[in-house]
Amino acid sequence: MFAYVVRRLIGGVFLLLLVSLVTFVLFFAGPINPAKFTCGKQCTPALIEQNTKALGYDKPVLEQWGTYVVGIVKGRDFPDDPALKKTAPETIAHCSAPCLGYSPQTSQNVTTELQPRIPVSVSLAIAAFIMWMIIGVGAGIIAALLRGSVIDKALVGVSLIFYAMPTVVTGLLLYQFVAIKWQLVPAPQYVPFSQSPVQWLQGLFLPALTLALYYAAGYVRLTRAFILETLGEDYLRTAKAKGVPRVRVLFRHTLRAALTPIVTQAGLDLGALLGGAIITEQIFSYPGLGALAVSSANQYDLPTTIGIVLVVATFIIIANLVVDVLYGLIDPRVKLA
Amino acid sequence: MALRKKPIVAVVATAITAGTALSACGGGGGGTTPASSNSTYKGGNLTYLYEDTVTSWDPQRSYVGVDLSNESRLFSRSLVQLPVTTDAKTAATPIPDLATNTGTKSDGAKTWSYTLKSGVKWQDGKAISCADVKYGLERNFNPNLTGGPTYAWGYLNIPHGSDGLPSYKGPADTKNQAAFDKAVVCSGNTITYHFNKPFPDFPLALASLREFDPYRKDKDQGVKNNLTIFSDGPYMIQGNWQTGSGGTFVRNPNYDPKTDGNRKALPATITFKENIQPDTAASRLIANNGADQSAVEMMNIPPSNLSQLVAGNVKSRVENPQSPFVDYILPNMKRLTNPKVRQALATSLNQAAYIKGYGGSQTASAAKSLVSPALLGYKPNPTTGALGQGDVSAAKKLLQGAGVPMPYPIKFTFRNNPARLAGAEALAATWNQAGFKVTLNPITNKYYPTIQTPSDNSDLYWAGWGADWSAQSTVLPPLFDSRVNLTSSTKTSDYGNYTSKTTNALFDKASMQTSVEAAASVYNEADAQLGKDYAYFPLIVEKFVFLRGSKVTNYINNPAVSMYPDLGSVGVSK
Amino acid sequence: MSTPLTKEQGRPADAQSGPLLQVDDLKVHFPTDDGVVKSVDGVSFTLEKGQTLGIVGESGSGKSVSSSAIMGLQRGTSARVSGSILFDGRELMEVSDEEYRELRGQDIAMIFQDPLSALHPYYTVGAQIAEGYRVHHPDASKKDARNRTLEMLGKVGIPNPARRIDQYPHEFSGGMRQRAMVAMALINDPKLLIADEPTTALDVTVQAQILDLMVSLQDEFRSAIIIITHDLGVVADVADDILVMYAGRPVEKGTVMDTFARPKHPYTWGLLASMPRLDQERTDKLDPIPGNPPSLINLPTGCAFNPRCAHRDRVPGDKCRTVEPELFQIGTQQARCFLTDQDRTEIAAAHDVSPDAHDVSADAHDRSQESA
Repeated sequence: MFAYVVRRLIGGVFLLLLVSLVTFVLFFAGPINPAKFTCGKQCTPALIEQNTKALGYDKPVLEQWGTYVVGIVKGRDFPDDPALKKTAPETIAHCSAPCLGYSPQTSQNVTTELQPRIPVSVSLAIAAFIMWMIIGVGAGIIAALLRGSVIDKALVGVSLIFYAMPTVVTGLLLYQFVAIKWQLVPAPQYVPFSQSPVQWLQGLFLPALTLALYYAAGYVRLTRAFILETLGEDYLRTAKAKGVPRVRVLFRHTLRAALTPIVTQAGLDLGALLGGAIITEQIFSYPGLGALAVSSANQYDLPTTIGIVLVVATFIIIANLVVDVLYGLIDPRVKLA
Repeated sequence: MALRKKPIVAVVATAITAGTALSACGGGGGGTTPASSNSTYKGGNLTYLYEDTVTSWDPQRSYVGVDLSNESRLFSRSLVQLPVTTDAKTAATPIPDLATNTGTKSDGAKTWSYTLKSGVKWQDGKAISCADVKYGLERNFNPNLTGGPTYAWGYLNIPHGSDGLPSYKGPADTKNQAAFDKAVVCSGNTITYHFNKPFPDFPLALASLREFDPYRKDKDQGVKNNLTIFSDGPYMIQGNWQTGSGGTFVRNPNYDPKTDGNRKALPATITFKENIQPDTAASRLIANNGADQSAVEMMNIPPSNLSQLVAGNVKSRVENPQSPFVDYILPNMKRLTNPKVRQALATSLNQAAYIKGYGGSQTASAAKSLVSPALLGYKPNPTTGALGQGDVSAAKKLLQGAGVPMPYPIKFTFRNNPARLAGAEALAATWNQAGFKVTLNPITNKYYPTIQTPSDNSDLYWAGWGADWSAQSTVLPPLFDSRVNLTSSTKTSDYGNYTSKTTNALFDKASMQTSVEAAASVYNEADAQLGKDYAYFPLIVEKFVFLRGSKVTNYINNPAVSMYPDLGSVGVSK
Repeated sequence: MSTPLTKEQGRPADAQSGPLLQVDDLKVHFPTDDGVVKSVDGVSFTLEKGQTLGIVGESGSGKSVSSSAIMGLQRGTSARVSGSILFDGRELMEVSDEEYRELRGQDIAMIFQDPLSALHPYYTVGAQIAEGYRVHHPDASKKDARNRTLEMLGKVGIPNPARRIDQYPHEFSGGMRQRAMVAMALINDPKLLIADEPTTALDVTVQAQILDLMVSLQDEFRSAIIIITHDLGVVADVADDILVMYAGRPVEKGTVMDTFARPKHPYTWGLLASMPRLDQERTDKLDPIPGNPPSLINLPTGCAFNPRCAHRDRVPGDKCRTVEPELFQIGTQQARCFLTDQDRTEIAAAHDVSPDAHDVSADAHDRSQESA
């Protein structure tokens, strides 16, 4: 098991290197010089060239990537100008390892830029995750057990509506009505947990609910389908034939089997969501990774874009690993090797 | 190229028409009287809802119009400033700020001198010195501090390299420092700038941009200071600016209002909230609850919310001024070589249909020139200013007389958003009736870099522009002087490949004028020439729809701050 | 109706209270959108202690559904169950759900066809067997249950039970899994064991082992067994009585010896003829019964088997197509067929595959004598 995890982690590192290389190549494959986005209104070719040099975009792509990767391990200085280091060391921004680069658009270390945003996206993802697992799986179980009833049809129908509704619509409606019109909750706003756990939770409620409703809709159907599939399994008949009480058949035999595949799905969904929920973060003005991803892509901000890509990729790789390990623990048929 | 911040939620199916723009000044002609209650109450907290994130709070690196105004009103004073007013002419007339007067010009407006007031201080209590003012400009030359305006680079009387850029590369460039020291001279509390050509607009540039603002050398940490705020104005930042969420400004104890006389500085604190969606801002301000009652915003109310603004308790809190942004259409002179074809396009251009598609009269009004009506010396274009009525039959005759095959194929390229797409469809309908066959080419991402490419084969381009300050010098030459724009690698801002010796000569003549008024009349001539050549067709003057909370007082539409909420004026009631 | 066999002679005379199981006119109907599916429609039989009944039929003939009905597994579903199931003196149709649950696994146990799918993949074999013990022995400690499980695993011939008890079903071979199922079924010494196709998923040698195991354990525990199968060879091996089902109804009943020796129903002839036989050349293909089983919603009028019956025209007046035959008593046997003995003799003479004197029946007889 340990060897397996180590092997997977090493593979993950290589995957991240590959991801960063591909992002670099794609970024520079575009026809537009990113320095154009830093040169204001009097954007003469000479100024573009000067900025290109200042930002280090004049070097070959592979060399830039190499510098970037080395920077992750060793840290970097911006601007990396030996003369300036002597004359005006206070103007050199040091980006210590692991340095994910330095954004010319915001003049910040990408690491510094991402750091306060990760807890935002992570809080949101986890809060949404807890909500959708409770709502989605709960409703899915009820729907499956009352299969064919009015309640089942209502649950499936409602979930279909939320599934079809883009988060932007759900989010805006919740915002408009719950927060503004009825004022049931204060206008959502991110408050760090360390500042006030209560406000943190209050602020999370609507955005997390927006995401949760969308995901829960899928999980209602997923859970319902898995339970119905499991209900037809021979081993449940065996359990009944053994005289196992109904409640025990449901919880110990049915749910154990039906919910196991949901663990995989949930783990992967959570992993992807940890990297930021673009639309929801924007609607609720949440300073998370998703909002940053959009603005950095719009502003052609390579270091920030790569930084986010790497963070998201890391989350997904780890989520995959966790799911696989977890699966090995809960499903005895799976052997990790 | 009026670089605007891109709407952050392109996926939200609402048209977000205007964001912020690279414009210091300008402003619409719709100067209105203060609609909100006036109050002299000092105190309370004003909330400022900001779309997207602030790109830079570094004076020398800022170039987003709304930021430039806010910096000036809050924490970065200049030698001169623009008044708190609603009158367009007054708004375009600088008044003293750190300096004792609006400057002394000599040598045909090539030399400008300013003397600092006494008693002006930084937030740490140190006096603002001439060296601080000089140093601010020095760091504008630091190549690592990208993004800011570079007017000084061209105007200062310093040596330039073969690439056209100044040889001086900022404070670290000891080799060329002497040359800079000759161009910008401190003598006691008096600073003198030497330019290589007349710069009659200089006070406007000083007041509108933050390029020439003072900076403390001992506080300069280069790129690290992008969002660092060290104030000499009425407010200073509490703690640090948090990218993505914002920050709170509190009173600067070392600011002496007696040295100012313009900024009202009413609220005790001003809280900026970043990353707010226009829909969200609109909903919150319409609802007018809690802290939002003392909130202002700088993003347009999206079209989807416009219908909600008529309610009685909302209506009185809506402002609908003309923005400083003018949208226009450019023919590609390399492809549409026949002037009759261009004339036919201009004649059958249907501004009214475009505005209808764009969102109606709340969102735009018809433009008569590329020059904003708020600019000094504005005149409608004598040729194209009278067109744009969608005259199909006249256009058809012109096209038939041009001796070209009909229907004449036209590829119309524009920056895509739902409103503009609807407008473009309306334009195409009229053009098609006149004998054109229009293909729409909407581009969503990287619009300007795309149309700057010399090889682009579009026939017509949409473009928008906002002036850097309220003089035509920041409109016509940057857009149509082929000598500064056209190179083998880029068209810069002359997307239509316009080249005219006559026009260039007029630009040269204008740049030799020693007063803003004299230059304005020469620019009027240049604009007339552009009209004669059908080099651009005026389209619309964009309008803002801003909403504010019910407790906001002293709200004005000031062209000096591009019609954004004027933080030198607004307060909140008790 | 069951003729005493050799085995029965050794039975203690403790069954004065009547047979262990008496099923009377059992019906299981499933209402569907297309109509009522009459999966089981009037099944009756009795089973004495220590006896084995084989229920035979094609898929969909209702044999498994009847056994599920006896287990009460259709309770709480849309199935409509009627008739009488008298088990050990109690009318099962009238007991409460909780009483039924207590019976299941304790007095009536069941072995299923595919032990891989019938065992829960996420629990160890030992845990699943022990669970069956503990639900009926609430006072038993975990350790008791484990010891009992180990004992049972040993009894069903699983080598190294101490190691096997903590393994998962997928770590067992097919035969071992079925042995574990047998252990699970017998852990509470049930009075009745229902084995639903217990050997179908297994290869031939393992099949024989499992059957031997069941027979020997039956002797030890004196359980009655219902073995459900489509394989007449299995019935011949282990059963005393046989019940042939077709389209939800019994079509032939009798002792294994009588029925294999003198089958009375053409469907039974067909089943016997489709058995692989050692005394026939390999080149001869097996003789399946032509046609398909009928829809259980729309049974053919008259005899349900008539569309597939080669002899229906022997019966005068087109009775096979119009009148439904009852289960006629023919000596010790019963058959749902209008054919006369005269007809049967003529048919036997005309056919290569004789319905008479089937070899297997002798086998069965021998075997039951041996095991007695």
